Amino acid sequence: MAAVRGEPAEACVGQVVLPGDVLLLPAHPDEDGERLQLGAGAAPRGRLLCGPGLRRCEAGLLVTKCGLLRHRQAGGGAAAGGAYWVDSQQKRYVPVKGDHVIGIVTGKAGDVFKLDVGGSEQASLSYLAFEGATKRNRPNVQVGDLIYGQFLVANKDMEPEMVCIDSSGRSSGMGIIGQDGFLFKVSLGLIRKLLAPKCEIIQELSQLYPFELVLGMNGRIWVKAKTIQQTLIIVNILEACEHMTAEQRKQVLAKFSGN
Amino acid sequence: SFIIEERSFMPCEDLLYGRMSFKGFNPEVEKLMIQMNSRCKEEETEVDDKMEADVSDEEMARRQLYIFYHLYRYETLVGTIGKKFLRKRDQRVLQDEDEDGNSNTKPSKKAKKKFLKPQD
Repeated sequence: MAAVRGEPAEACVGQVVLPGDVLLLPAHPDEDGERLQLGAGAAPRGRLLCGPGLRRCEAGLLVTKCGLLRHRQAGGGAAAGGAYWVDSQQKRYVPVKGDHVIGIVTGKAGDVFKLDVGGSEQASLSYLAFEGATKRNRPNVQVGDLIYGQFLVANKDMEPEMVCIDSSGRSSGMGIIGQDGFLFKVSLGLIRKLLAPKCEIIQELSQLYPFELVLGMNGRIWVKAKTIQQTLIIVNILEACEHMTAEQRKQVLAKFSGN
Repeated sequence: SFIIEERSFMPCEDLLYGRMSFKGFNPEVEKLMIQMNSRCKEEETEVDDKMEADVSDEEMARRQLYIFYHLYRYETLVGTIGKKFLRKRDQRVLQDEDEDGNSNTKPSKKAKKKFLKPQD
């Protein structure tokens, strides 16, 4: 077989990469597993986070999705060591462990609720996975309710499982989402853009009306404002802002903030 | 080198918490927003503060001293009351022990009580 040609990873940051591209990582001096690093520092220098869209291969990283390559420098809070990932766009959600999503209850099967999360299978949610739930004290969940929870188990071999409590047993905002409001679906890239720290769209919208927003990583957004008209305005802005430039968005918001 | 494969976007991009509320629409969610978003960024410093607020070393030493003092007093108290329930033989033994312990002081007391005759 011909040798696989690869490019150094740093050169491709911010450029479009296609599946099958190999990204070479700089060789590290301490590749020997026998030599131990006795220096200070929590993580060894060679540790790298290989995010969605990338996979390990012998030479370095193999790209599996098309999109822009992103990089985060080392020295972040939780993940010491750099991180590479591919910023791709898609509408179909694939359940991933730890993601917070909005699910719709479609049925009850004994002690377990079945939720539709937009994936290939329905997720299951046990009635004990709510804060303060016991066998006698069951949560009041009906068919058609909206639930904000996170995935406990999500891989391609098993049915996804959701819970509405975190590891310490507290709900921390998860659970049944209240009455009224409006649920709609957007692409996954927009959700990530909205959830980025210092998102301009969210900041500009927050100046407009008082409202409440729940963003699920599966592309679903739930909005609730004081009147139906305000709710629909926010919904339309959020759906359209993916394809608008910043100036167009500001024009639209200026039109509504005058009213 | 160590490469960790990750399928979620959360650790890569530092995304915020999914529930948001603006202009006081839902005060509980606004409190949650501040709590969850600051927890991600200041995890280490918060943990340190909590450790300090619990008990400092000096406080711990003082409390232990206090406890030992009370235990000591409790033991002596139990000792004195416990003697009441001893049998008579044991009580006499105890009294002899007390006298032997005080024998050094008694002659000095007797010496003091003697009247010194004035010399002619």
